[in-house]
Amino acid sequence: MFKIINRILSFVVLSLISIFLITACAVPVQNTTQPEKQPTTLTIPKLRIAAAADLTLAFKEIATQFEQETKIPTEITFGSTGTTAMQIENGAPYDVFAAADVSYIDGLNKKGLILAGTQQLYAQGRIGIATLKESNLSIKDSQDLADNPSVKKIAIAEPSHAPYGKAAKQALEYCNLWAKVESKMVYGQNVQDTLAILRSGNVDAAIIALSISKSDEVNFTLIDGSWHAPLNQTIAILKATKQEENARKFVAYVNGEKGRVVMKKYGFLLPSEFAKK
Amino acid sequence: MMISELMPLYLSLRLALTATFIGLLIGLPIAWFLGNTRWKGREVLDSLISIPMVLPPTVLGYYLLVILGRNSWIGNLAESLGTPLVFTTRGAIIAATVVSIPFFIKTARAAIEGIPSNLLDAARVLGRTELNIIFSVVIPNAWKGIAAGLVLMFARALGDFGTTLMVSGGIPGETLTMPIAIYNAMLAGNQAAANRLALIMAGTALLVLALINGLTRQVGRKRKR
Repeated sequence: MFKIINRILSFVVLSLISIFLITACAVPVQNTTQPEKQPTTLTIPKLRIAAAADLTLAFKEIATQFEQETKIPTEITFGSTGTTAMQIENGAPYDVFAAADVSYIDGLNKKGLILAGTQQLYAQGRIGIATLKESNLSIKDSQDLADNPSVKKIAIAEPSHAPYGKAAKQALEYCNLWAKVESKMVYGQNVQDTLAILRSGNVDAAIIALSISKSDEVNFTLIDGSWHAPLNQTIAILKATKQEENARKFVAYVNGEKGRVVMKKYGFLLPSEFAKK
Repeated sequence: MMISELMPLYLSLRLALTATFIGLLIGLPIAWFLGNTRWKGREVLDSLISIPMVLPPTVLGYYLLVILGRNSWIGNLAESLGTPLVFTTRGAIIAATVVSIPFFIKTARAAIEGIPSNLLDAARVLGRTELNIIFSVVIPNAWKGIAAGLVLMFARALGDFGTTLMVSGGIPGETLTMPIAIYNAMLAGNQAAANRLALIMAGTALLVLALINGLTRQVGRKRKR
């Protein structure tokens, strides 16, 4: 009896191992998983866009409209600008990069990774203080962040690679409050992650982008744009793109009439109304 | 460069040592209980304890955040006492301990179970209490396995990234441990710093493990085992 069970078990284990080995070799090279689920059209490959985290709401809308109009499928990955730039340097296969700050695009340009002449300023971002609607905390301005005793923890994006976190730190330094609030700081990987930390209820306030704040979710107080270096959001096509024409169409759409309507809706300053510093 | 780059190392070592110490205090009794008693629910308990080993670190970190954060009764209690658990060193210690203790318990249990039962029975016949037996028979005979378990636990706590990041954030000077510092440097595109930190971490880990192994051999020689 034991011998039979032994044999059956060995057979099952060997079969499983064989199946795994065979299927592992047969799996074709897939694109990495993306948040956008699109009906795949086998003829037109997806336009791969890397976008800064603050564009999460705005670009999802623009992409949907763009796809409806041009029938070009898109695939957007959101993340902190610094991280995405680092990934592109190391070969990440994107077609378009929409950064939250021009310095990262310039850096990639110096390394010869940007298609000449495609770099465009498309918006300026705004930051502000956010608190959850359900918490009864009301923050009037950044001085409040430092002085209010109920504010024990504040979340911002990591300044070393997220432009919105850097702007938050600059604004607090400008108000001479950084030394006071530094001990309360918690850092998110990007501005969207910072909002997630706020949502988890484990911090009292967060400094996030205006463009990802939803009025039914957070109380938002804008921070004066002159307190930090302007967030010059720049978009560019990557040299390694295999879909130059479609990429150009997308960039033109973002900076075109319809794209600008969406950007304005989410609180971005358009090129015509920039605060020059 | 020196101080700010050595701070994460200091935090990592401190965290790993604290987690190992706490893990020993909590884990050894559990390992003895699993190895020496005949309770029917032993294997169920063992599986439960092994969960942190199988779960992806970020998932574990997420669950810990939910259990210890402000929205739970534990977190609420801690906050009201003025000692919040999440986004603090305390949270990091809890995360590191939870993540690494299964390694210790499994190894220690195996060592304890491996003690010939006639040794234990002989001690019982000679009139020793169970508590006395733990210190006079169980530990001296299983100490090599327990030491190995400690090494595994220390290594796991030292290298933890996802769980501590989720639960305690990467607060410089408090919870920004070496793995998180390396990750941040890499994210910011600062490859030189990332490489430097990674090298320091690898070197330190090897040094500590070599020390522990050397000690184990020394003690073993003295006891002629």
